[in-house]
Amino acid sequence: MKINFPHRQFAHCESGVTANLLNYHGFPCSEAMAFGIGGGLFFAYVPFVKINFLPLTTYRIGPGSIFAKATRRLGIKVIKKKFGSPESAENELDRLLEAGRPVGAQTGVFWLPFFPPAYRFHFNGHNLVVIGKEGSDYLISDPIFEETVRCPAADLRKARFAKGALAPKGRIYYIEKMPVHFNLPKAIESGIRDVCRVMLKVPLPLLGVRGIRLLARQLAKWPDRFGEKQSLLHLGHVIRMQEEIGTGGAGFRFIYAAFLQEAAGVLENDRLIDLSRRCTAVGDLWRDFALLASRVCKGRAVGQDSFDHLAALLSSCAVHEEALFEDLRSALVR
Amino acid sequence: MDDNLERELVAMVIDLCNVEDILPEDVPLDVPMIGPESPLGLDSLDALEVVVAVQRSYDVRIGGENSSREILQSFTTLADYIRLKQQEDA
Repeated sequence: MKINFPHRQFAHCESGVTANLLNYHGFPCSEAMAFGIGGGLFFAYVPFVKINFLPLTTYRIGPGSIFAKATRRLGIKVIKKKFGSPESAENELDRLLEAGRPVGAQTGVFWLPFFPPAYRFHFNGHNLVVIGKEGSDYLISDPIFEETVRCPAADLRKARFAKGALAPKGRIYYIEKMPVHFNLPKAIESGIRDVCRVMLKVPLPLLGVRGIRLLARQLAKWPDRFGEKQSLLHLGHVIRMQEEIGTGGAGFRFIYAAFLQEAAGVLENDRLIDLSRRCTAVGDLWRDFALLASRVCKGRAVGQDSFDHLAALLSSCAVHEEALFEDLRSALVR
Repeated sequence: MDDNLERELVAMVIDLCNVEDILPEDVPLDVPMIGPESPLGLDSLDALEVVVAVQRSYDVRIGGENSSREILQSFTTLADYIRLKQQEDA
């Protein structure tokens, strides 16, 4: 049994899953639009939460939030479930598939055999859509792959119940009912305001622009605090495979820039076009930081490529993001 | 293609990533560029270096809504993508 699900490949899993599910249910949506309405852009540096024994640094909001916020802002009714046992989780998934319903699922990448070995690391926030079952294989629309893939039931079970940080606990989600009418401009504005708030106004030093500044201050002290080997491990962790290899976390800024460009058309607000360009430029700054960091990690650094210089680059990212989101907030006031 | 872009990219990557003991002409073009199967031993940090170098040298941006995983599959896929973007921008 296979649901006729239009699979599209995207750069990031959850915004891709959200866009593909919305598209299946009759709401044409790009990845950038799903990411933007879902308020996906974020920054947090949380030294006391460890991923692979290293501090959590994230350039996006937590797993599940993009889908939850995007659907809520569009007035879509969704169902989310977690499970106490793999058996009940699998039975419910099978029941939903039999009913012809594509089902989003949170999984641990390490246990998914269709990932090439180079990408199978311990990250439990990977999203995909299960679109059918043939024999003991599930059929899966994973938006970071070009085509749909197959996954043995035993492997998907392990991936859905992977242990550790962000453990999915069998989490699934699906669209129950679409509204008759969508208020897209209102959803876009709400998504933008949310991102501006979390980047600028949340009074916690770990989050948003404050979090970038905290990371800059701490990063400058890493060589003295941790020694060379641990400092390089921490640095590599900040920039490694945040959403797409080769962007060092900047990719989310590029996706958000594409969202602002689309939003400019929907809201008929030309200021967003300029802000989209600035968001791309901020992404380039993040990538410059990541490039220097990777050279330090690889021992290819020359001249000023020190932790102090990296901290200064991060501070520059903070300055530009603060100005960008202040201007973005004011661009909505008409 | 006869513009030798693939070999140019191999030479660039070997130089950028300080790969030793391998000649550009000995590197297969259709094998994985990144990961444990890469004959050059490149990882995700090297990928960042490659992506930025391609943007600077060829004015072609990788990342964001296009998938760098697909583009960086091999030197052939990378060269094809650069040619495609250059044609679109011409």
